[in-house]
Amino acid sequence: MQSNKLGWILLAPTLVILFFFGVLPFLYVVFVSFHQWNPFAASPEMIFNGAENFRRIVFDEAFLNSLSVTVAFVVFAVLSELIIGYLLAQAFMKEFPGKSIFRTIHTLPLIMAPIIVGSVWKLMTTPSIGIIPHYLDEWFGITMNIGTSAPAAFMTIVIMDIWHWTPLVTLTLIAALVSLPRDPFEQAQIDGANKAQTFWHITLPMITPALVATVFIRLMDALRTVDEVWMLTGGGPGSSTRFLGVHIFKEVFPKTNYGYGSTISVIVLYLTIVACWLLYVSMLAPRKNRKG
Amino acid sequence: MNYALKVGASALAMAVASSAAYADDAFWKEAAKSYQDVTLRGVTESTPPSNYIREVLAPEFEELTGIRVDIETTSWDQMYDKAIKDMEAGTGIYDMVFIEQDIVYSYLARDFLTDTTKLLADNPDLKAPTYSEDNFTTFADYFRGKNGDLYGVPMEAFIKIYLYRTDLFNDPEIKAAFKEQTGRDLVPAKTHEEYAEIAQFFTKWGEDHDMDLWGTTAQAHTGHPASWYEFFETIAPTYGVYNWGIDADNNYAASVANGGEMNSDEAKEAMKWWLSMRDIAPPESNASTWTEVGTTFGAGRVAQGLVYGENAGWIAADETKSLVVGNVGVALPPMEDGILEEVEGGEGYIGYYDGGAFGIPSTSKNQKAAMLFLQYIGQDEVQPDWAVAAPRVTNKTTYDDPKVQAMNQELGGYYDLLRDKGYLFAGAPAYPFHAQVREATAPILYQILTGDLGPEEGLDQMAAEAEAELTDLGYRK
Repeated sequence: MQSNKLGWILLAPTLVILFFFGVLPFLYVVFVSFHQWNPFAASPEMIFNGAENFRRIVFDEAFLNSLSVTVAFVVFAVLSELIIGYLLAQAFMKEFPGKSIFRTIHTLPLIMAPIIVGSVWKLMTTPSIGIIPHYLDEWFGITMNIGTSAPAAFMTIVIMDIWHWTPLVTLTLIAALVSLPRDPFEQAQIDGANKAQTFWHITLPMITPALVATVFIRLMDALRTVDEVWMLTGGGPGSSTRFLGVHIFKEVFPKTNYGYGSTISVIVLYLTIVACWLLYVSMLAPRKNRKG
Repeated sequence: MNYALKVGASALAMAVASSAAYADDAFWKEAAKSYQDVTLRGVTESTPPSNYIREVLAPEFEELTGIRVDIETTSWDQMYDKAIKDMEAGTGIYDMVFIEQDIVYSYLARDFLTDTTKLLADNPDLKAPTYSEDNFTTFADYFRGKNGDLYGVPMEAFIKIYLYRTDLFNDPEIKAAFKEQTGRDLVPAKTHEEYAEIAQFFTKWGEDHDMDLWGTTAQAHTGHPASWYEFFETIAPTYGVYNWGIDADNNYAASVANGGEMNSDEAKEAMKWWLSMRDIAPPESNASTWTEVGTTFGAGRVAQGLVYGENAGWIAADETKSLVVGNVGVALPPMEDGILEEVEGGEGYIGYYDGGAFGIPSTSKNQKAAMLFLQYIGQDEVQPDWAVAAPRVTNKTTYDDPKVQAMNQELGGYYDLLRDKGYLFAGAPAYPFHAQVREATAPILYQILTGDLGPEEGLDQMAAEAEAELTDLGYRK
């Protein structure tokens, strides 16, 4: 009883902060999402309009386009980061010359703010000035212009995200791999399991909790990506990289469409929760069933 | 006049000057006495004029008055984000906000700003002897409310001009080649046809001579509103399409069908011409905002272009940034026949008169202290050095200062053009829905730029979208 009370006392500051800076703003956004509110409209006051914003979103082509490019981005970026991150983690489990230097360099992108990453990549990819289009043209005769080519802009953003966030996946998976017990691997070796079998039946199930946590973090981050994209393409060319975060930003800030912007935010939060839940079920449920 | 008389006259003049300076200093110290514990906070876009306020004027004012001034310079988007959120929520974090000319009508519609004329009239003790609204150029009129009062102290004013490379335009070999090819002399263009001819000539010249040289700039970013501004504020007016093609007196009509001009034949002609220029501009043009256009020109990659005046200064005179120092000329933008006469007759404008002011949010808790600072930066006395550091003129007497005159020479006569022809340019139309209509129609413009939509179809869609947005906002009935 005593420890329970102490626990609540120790938790209290965090709970208070969470309530005021997390729960309350969230409830306010939900409240605003049921209103028509643009401070620069002829009637700038908040007007309750029921579920009209939610009805509108279903037919909003701009939102649906943003949703589709975001999903494509998340699938490409997160999947690539997981695969590359795992391969790098496995590589770092072995000894090779210059390993510590390589690991340090490999981790550097993580300490960069997203807006800086966007700026650096903009410098590297600006047509006729950037180093990437220059050498693509000089070595392979490929013309790269992220201002006109939607696929080029999209792939550049995916590659930028992979470059920025793969180190996080690598570090998390190194931590998971290092903590694995040796016994099951030795047992598998004695039983004659090959590498694929060892990975599929031993490594993967044992690192799944870390993998799930990593996927959740990257998924949530990728779904709300704004800074890098804002800096690199501004959502263009056209609307080809207008991801949900950028779409919400443009709706809420320049357009000051607070009501509808809040509705989009609530829907995106809902979709994020659903996506995470589906992932959780698909990645952890089979494991539980195996145990059962 | 004998020697003794000269000395006496000089001494008297010095005494008068020093006593006037002393009197001015005395005013600031006296007026600031009640605000010694105040810290003024301002937010503005990170531009050369704003940086000068932060780095020079604010520290000077602080030393003179003891009132601390924190100026936050940030990106264009962030500046709006912070200022609007603060004023909307009424938090009163900022005592001064940058008011870009095109947003002032939105701010006034929401009563976001303090009436500075009234504030000074109600508090005569606050009125600095060296500050007067009469000192400002007519650009200040953009910051007046319906009652004629001033709601912001102008701090920057530029026109978007036609900049050209004098070294290329005066090169004998190039001149001869141009004459041979076109049958006319190589001089700055007056019409779109002439401009296009020069642009095509130089782009080809660059190709033929293996140079990184193109014939024109294009502020044609495919995901940033800079391209929207280039079309509606720079190109369309030179075809006679004013105020974005929206008729405020006709139920805010944008489409031709309803009485607007956004998708008129002139607008479509303007769009086609602009796209044709974009196609022969440097490859980076599709990712260029106003900043990159300046950089492109400063890097010597174009022979001519339409460039914001705020960039003209460093392009023409800053050797640490520009490769074309001393080789820059300025002129009026090219236009269709009859447009200049129309504008001189009082209808429309030929380009954008850009700029901004510093205003005091209604929510500021330190309005009087902020008013002191605004008067300080609005004085004639601080303007010349400011104009040299960042090419902007907001006060009438600034043009006559020797330092500014010298700068004018370096800028190829830019200040003369601003003073003598500034009246042909105009700020953004007085719409309280500026950003809303821009953001609603910009994605369609980006599609035109990427080629996903044709110019005619795209402008039709933009006009329809503008009307839909205006209906949503409640302006169009």
